[in-house]
Amino acid sequence: MSKKVGFLLVNKDYTLDGIRSALGLAVENMYSYAYVLNNELTDVSDYHKENIDWIRDMEGEVYTTVDANVENLGMVKISLEEIGQQLRDLEFIIPYGILRSDKS
Amino acid sequence: MAKSLGIFVTSPQNMRHVMGITTAAKAKGSKVKVFFTWYGIHLTKCKEFPSLCELADEVSICVDSYKKSGYDPADIPKGLEAKDMATQGQHGAIIEEYECYLTL
Amino acid sequence: MKLLNVYRSEPNDDTKKLVEIVSEGRDAESFDLNVESPDYSALLDKVFAADQTICWW
Repeated sequence: MSKKVGFLLVNKDYTLDGIRSALGLAVENMYSYAYVLNNELTDVSDYHKENIDWIRDMEGEVYTTVDANVENLGMVKISLEEIGQQLRDLEFIIPYGILRSDKS
Repeated sequence: MAKSLGIFVTSPQNMRHVMGITTAAKAKGSKVKVFFTWYGIHLTKCKEFPSLCELADEVSICVDSYKKSGYDPADIPKGLEAKDMATQGQHGAIIEEYECYLTL
Repeated sequence: MKLLNVYRSEPNDDTKKLVEIVSEGRDAESFDLNVESPDYSALLDKVFAADQTICWW
């Protein structure tokens, strides 16, 4: 049975690569979800936009708590509480990279 | 009883934990695989990295991350072989084949 | 469901909230890696006994 994995992406310096890593598991036939928390992505290349589309095509999703990411990149809006509830159903939870130094 | 352990390294700050956990796991008789990605690959330049490669059963890195971080993929870190300059598929292998999973 | 929450750094408010939701109603333990000399052997005993381990930032 396909595993369910979730990437938690809280740091702008790590988020786009975390999405690439999430795609890497989607192509390994896993249900792969990415959650972009509290960081607005700017200067996103076509390559990275395609990665978001591919995750979706492979029955995964890229969620975000940030309105600008919804408007600019078509990510799905989600609240912190909803993320927590979704994580309860996942077998692998991956807090990716490091927290931002400003702790916001 | 010791279980097999896969470690996914995404942070450049955790070499002491990677070494400490791998050392303790091997002492318990575990099989250990470590995969480094994104800024985690900077840890290949730590003086302890070749020791880690000897200690763990398998060590590999994301060659794409290595290249994007400014390193030459032909400059293979000491302790690794060309086959260990790998893809996100190694992360998939940890999830599919190992009993326990850590993100560092 | 036996859950192990591992902390690599001091958790912020968002991390604390996620841990609270994920741990609710489960047999949850924690381990702090953010100390001078973590007992890695003790950590592994907990990891091997858990159904799921989450290494928070």
